[in-house]
Amino acid sequence: MLRTEDLGYWYQDKDQPLFQNINLEFETGQSYAILGHSGTGKTTFLSLIAGLDKPREGDIFLDDRSLKKIGLTNFRRHDVAIVFQAYNLFTYMSPLNNLLTAMAITGASHAGDKGYAQRILNDLGIGDDLITRNVQQLSGGQQQRVAIARTMCCDARLVVADEPTGNLDEDNTQAVIAQFQRIAHEQKKCVIIVTHEPDVAAQCDHQYRLENKQFVQLA
Amino acid sequence: MNFFKRAWLNVWAKKGRSVLLILVSSAILMFVLAGLLIRSAAVKAMETAKNDAGATMTLSANRQAAFKKMQSSSSSSSSKSSRPKLTLTPVKLSDATKIAKLSNIKSYNVISSTTANAKSYDTVSTSTGMGGNSGGPGGMKATGSSSGDTQIDGVTSTALTTAFANSQSKLTKGRGITAADKGTNHVVIEKDLASQNNLTVGDTMTVKETTGSKSTVKVKVVGIYKASSTSAASAGPMSTDPANTIYASYTLANTIKGSKYAGTADSVTFNVKNPAQVSATKKAGNQLISSKYALSTDDASYQSIKSSMNNVEGFANKIVWLVAIAGTIILALIVILMIRERRFEIGVLLSLGEARWKIVAQFFTEMLMVIVIALAIAGVGGKFVGNQLGSQLVSQSTTTQTTSSGSTGQPGGSGQPGGSGGSGMRGGAGGPGSTTTNRAKTQNPNLEISVSAVDLAELGGFGLAITFLSIMIASGGILRLEPKKVLIS
Repeated sequence: MLRTEDLGYWYQDKDQPLFQNINLEFETGQSYAILGHSGTGKTTFLSLIAGLDKPREGDIFLDDRSLKKIGLTNFRRHDVAIVFQAYNLFTYMSPLNNLLTAMAITGASHAGDKGYAQRILNDLGIGDDLITRNVQQLSGGQQQRVAIARTMCCDARLVVADEPTGNLDEDNTQAVIAQFQRIAHEQKKCVIIVTHEPDVAAQCDHQYRLENKQFVQLA
Repeated sequence: MNFFKRAWLNVWAKKGRSVLLILVSSAILMFVLAGLLIRSAAVKAMETAKNDAGATMTLSANRQAAFKKMQSSSSSSSSKSSRPKLTLTPVKLSDATKIAKLSNIKSYNVISSTTANAKSYDTVSTSTGMGGNSGGPGGMKATGSSSGDTQIDGVTSTALTTAFANSQSKLTKGRGITAADKGTNHVVIEKDLASQNNLTVGDTMTVKETTGSKSTVKVKVVGIYKASSTSAASAGPMSTDPANTIYASYTLANTIKGSKYAGTADSVTFNVKNPAQVSATKKAGNQLISSKYALSTDDASYQSIKSSMNNVEGFANKIVWLVAIAGTIILALIVILMIRERRFEIGVLLSLGEARWKIVAQFFTEMLMVIVIALAIAGVGGKFVGNQLGSQLVSQSTTTQTTSSGSTGQPGGSGQPGGSGGSGMRGGAGGPGSTTTNRAKTQNPNLEISVSAVDLAELGGFGLAITFLSIMIASGGILRLEPKKVLIS
């Protein structure tokens, strides 16, 4: 589904790339974990496959179509959903409106369907008493679940998450990882999680470690 | 159009910020509206000034030409005994009629003044300690002229005279002289003269000519007026008491002067419809008369108001533009700060694939919601601010105008110098109550400030423009924003 071809990235100096000649393939219905120490470039890699930045060399293909041709804005709108460590929800909205807004922007097939958004939120443990409250009144774990619900209500086949459990306790971490697995296995989406927690990575179908400017498959 | 909903949710969720924005925008728009209102009121006042302040054009003998003629006669004559006299030609009414037909002439007042002696009544006497009070009505007397104790001001209509137009004289009984009194012996007399002689409306009185056969003329009182100035002292040592001034039709004044004055006048004052075109009218008028006559114009009232209103309008324009520019800058800075504060939200929108123009449109819509409420507040408050600012401006402007024009003001109308012959025209600069001009009363221009639909539409335009510009200035940040830098740190 998603393929990188000789992907490389550097900030200032081409001779000091974060990574180079990366050739990876990601399939739908699978979950992937990318491990690595801080500063190795795993989040930068995620920003490239999420269409938030352009690679310095190489290319990324979605179903054999280059992202350059698809266009990054189009790619982000229709093909990818992102979960951030800081949740990045619309703070002036309720969980329900967060989902409805994302569905409207991405032109999701259920756009405008409040019942659908409500069901997804309920499935993730956000009860009816919470869905119309302002998101800032929710706990960190609840906010992260709203962020995950946002990815589920859109039609994007690729879900990327940057340290999604970084701010969560153990219980919420497990709940969030379980949701990602459901997204991958039940919704048949491709889930790529960047994390520095081996326990989280271990629950994904595939694990890669970014070290010495290369991705090493662990499992 | 999801951005409409987002805008509404944001404005509603952040009520405190929205209220502050409304207050700032209201203040800006209030001053813009005040400027707009003052400007439109100034334009209206200018239009009103054209009608109210008016301008006049006076046809009279050409004194300069007559003086030159006298000088040339003087140099050619060696005999002292036959020293030439200044001879002024009375205005022919036929010439005045030609000028009256010009398109810019609204009305005209024929003025013919003379004096007569009281016959059946006693004149009002005032002791000034400066000499007799039975002298001429003021100014220099022409050689050989003979002045009576009663001043007779012949006019077309008393309402068109300066004294009545400026409310220096007011009718207390009966009526004033009108064009319908032409050819009659109807007069309007002063209240003091009437009470001293027990005269009232309907009574008759007799005056005696001062020249020629010195015959008597019986006149009928049709009105009694009260003059504000009753002291002869204020009119000069040689003036008769103002109470002895009788208003009559110019035809009666001409009859008393003598038969050769039939169909003539001392001067004719024309009221100009559009004061702005007084010069063009004078030019056209000059082509209709001979060099023996001169046309002078008086549009001082109009010019005074025009100048005053121009100042106000100019200042109002400056207010509008300064406030609009300052408002745009202030709002742009607020929006820039607002956008910086919301960069995470913008980043999330961009990560969801939202078009940048839609993000800009969301901010514009939010500001539009604020501006609509601010417009309503400004509509109410703008009138108050405009009234305060307007009256302050007008009072300042009028004071400045009065100061600058004060030195050119004259206490009375410019009279005709004495003519040759016994019943020459009334001389010199007239004292109070002189009838030589009928300039409209000069009023302080009042700005009638009211908020009309057009003003609100114009304000709405300014509001939209200010909002649009401030959002455009601030949206540079949105257009340059890279979601990766904001969201992944």
